[in-house]
Amino acid sequence: MISFFDSWLPFIYLYGVGGVLFTTGMVLISKSKSLDLRKKIHKFWFKVLIFGFIYFMLIHGLFTIAALYW
Amino acid sequence: MQTFHNIGTSTDWIVMIVYFLAIMLFGSYFGRYNRSTKDFFFGGRRFAWWLIAFSIVATGVGSHSFVKYSAKGFEHGFSSTMTYINDWFFIPFFLFGWLPIIVYSKIRSIPEYFEKRFSPSARFLATILLMFYMIGYIGIGFLTLGKAALPLLPETFTLFGSTIHITLMGVIIFIAVITGIYITFGGQTAVIFTDLLQGFVLLFAGLLLFFLGVDYVGGFGVFWDLLPTEWKLPLAKFNEPSSFNFVGIFWQDGIAGSIGFLFMNMGLVMRFMATKSVNEGRKAATFNVLFMLPISAIVVGNAGWIGKAISVVSPEIVPPNTSPDQIFVVVANIVSHPGVFGFIMAALTAALMSTVDTLINATAAIYINDVYRPIKTFFKEKTPLNIKETDRRELVAARWSSVAITILGVLSVLVFESFPTVYEAHGYFHSTLTPPLVVAIFLGIFWRRFTPAAVITTFIAGVALMIIGANYPAQLIGIFDHGIEMDPKHPYSYIRALYNIFVCIAVAVVVTYTTLQQKSIVAKLKSKPDGTRIIYSLIAVSVVIFLLVVLNILPMMLTLILILLLLLIIPIVSTYLIKYDEEAKTIGLTAWSIAKAKEMFKGSKLNEEEGEIVKVHWRMKEGEDDTVNLSENDMKKMKAEIGDLVYLCDARKYMGGLKSIHSVIGEPHNEDGIVYINDEQFQNGVFVENRLLTAEKEM
Repeated sequence: MISFFDSWLPFIYLYGVGGVLFTTGMVLISKSKSLDLRKKIHKFWFKVLIFGFIYFMLIHGLFTIAALYW
Repeated sequence: MQTFHNIGTSTDWIVMIVYFLAIMLFGSYFGRYNRSTKDFFFGGRRFAWWLIAFSIVATGVGSHSFVKYSAKGFEHGFSSTMTYINDWFFIPFFLFGWLPIIVYSKIRSIPEYFEKRFSPSARFLATILLMFYMIGYIGIGFLTLGKAALPLLPETFTLFGSTIHITLMGVIIFIAVITGIYITFGGQTAVIFTDLLQGFVLLFAGLLLFFLGVDYVGGFGVFWDLLPTEWKLPLAKFNEPSSFNFVGIFWQDGIAGSIGFLFMNMGLVMRFMATKSVNEGRKAATFNVLFMLPISAIVVGNAGWIGKAISVVSPEIVPPNTSPDQIFVVVANIVSHPGVFGFIMAALTAALMSTVDTLINATAAIYINDVYRPIKTFFKEKTPLNIKETDRRELVAARWSSVAITILGVLSVLVFESFPTVYEAHGYFHSTLTPPLVVAIFLGIFWRRFTPAAVITTFIAGVALMIIGANYPAQLIGIFDHGIEMDPKHPYSYIRALYNIFVCIAVAVVVTYTTLQQKSIVAKLKSKPDGTRIIYSLIAVSVVIFLLVVLNILPMMLTLILILLLLLIIPIVSTYLIKYDEEAKTIGLTAWSIAKAKEMFKGSKLNEEEGEIVKVHWRMKEGEDDTVNLSENDMKKMKAEIGDLVYLCDARKYMGGLKSIHSVIGEPHNEDGIVYINDEQFQNGVFVENRLLTAEKEM
């Protein structure tokens, strides 16, 4: 039996620490107006960035579930 | 550990040779698009996003290699994909921080950014560190190439009656000669196009191998059931074994490696700079990370997974103790027919060559920009050369430097050869060489207060702290080890990245926050008549301390105290010697002033109204005027004004911008659907007669 330490902890660590870094990046680029949400094209990019984070989280999450239970 | 030789048949060798010749011919055709060093290095900032996105595949896949990920796939399963799908955290920083800055500030190399943002001395130190990084990367590429080729070759061969042993270094030198010849005569456009072709070939070859392998073991269901549960997990075990654990690899690859790859890898950065605009660069990067990297993860690692499955059912075919770095070649040979195996091997080695030649090209760009030109400026020539002659000489220097860099790359293999697998060698390399530059670039972009004194101290005292960490890993890196056991032979290959990043950030932050105190000490020194002499004495002391740290001849505590002294001296010396105007040095060079950077790039006020892209026929005009002239009506459709930047491109989309130019809009005329260009623009764009162009206002 695979322990929590070796199955879900890496996932939590990856998206916990990585999530803090990602959020810091989003805040910094928004505050600096480098990502200017008043522009249509930047709104699109904002959505792409959020989508990317969730997309990778889902890939890792679903693969972990498949490995453990399928 | 079992090793293999003489794998493959003569059919495979014929396929490989034909493939290589075809690729080289294909690349040399595009060499004709190099008209200047700008084209040689950057491909002339003209390409569409999709072309760059696919051309990056060969670079990314090559550098992260079939060999090393198959090795880890064989040892640990699906977690070999980990490093390909952990790059997203830094994408916001890259897309809206670094990418617009490098394009709009018109820098030609990363060290040049350090001069613009900080000072020439910061550029000098960044050049040294970056050259180490790039040459090390080339060395890793050569090592991988050698390890991929070795199983195909016999152990010995006979020449004029004497038996010659084929060694790893011998193979690497032979490959280096071929790579050096190719890159020297190709240039960036050739690299982009061969990589584009190879990107497709690689994906096809890797996926073909996966399907053949799954079929060989009896279908996907059998394959899935054969693998133990822990082999199927997408992330490695948290902190064991020391040769492959999640937390170490997260800091080494997910953090240092991702930033290094996106921000520091000049080869990749130059690709993004070859796109026609910042937005196209963003699309290329996003598409690559979201879609191409996950596919690449399967493409490069699956031979290891298949190898593991075969070793479970038929250990006599794939012994469980097969050398991990050879598993790719072994599995490819087992599951494919003669000829197909040759094609797969050709795709692998050609892709690795792509990576290496991209890196050689990029390192040559750094040499020209950050070593050759500053030296030429320093020793001013008595009779200044015209632009064409200067460019011709630089192109010659670029080609010769490519040769020298190739040789240095081969020599650097000696450093990495002792690691059990290429993966660990690469991990150690990333953990050790990226942190100072990664921290400096990152804080330079996002922290306006970050000073030249802080960046220089990071490069010197930060590196000194990294060296002492490498000398006393148990005491210093051990604090950050997350429970990873230390391998005495290669201590903390991965988690050392966390220690290295931590000490570099700590140095940078402490020095930046003590700027006022440094200024007050410098003011006192400047008021003294022997202030300059004191500063030069302090420089001598710093050099001695740094040498003592490198030579590691003092006890740890004493060395640490000396480094703390270094931490005090270097900021004072830097503040004393460097004139720094924060306002002037940060405008357009940090994420906080991207709009200004864009305005500086254009040279006049921005016109960001969204207009149409119009189709036009081109006609030649007389004279030297380097603007292009569109009709009034076309300009209205484009919402363009005189002085706006325009991108003219062959309308055939599949050309991906190969035939295109950037220019400035000049006085309008009344002939709708016509653009007037001069001879130079015609030559640069390599436009074809009677072919329609698209005209797009940039800004």
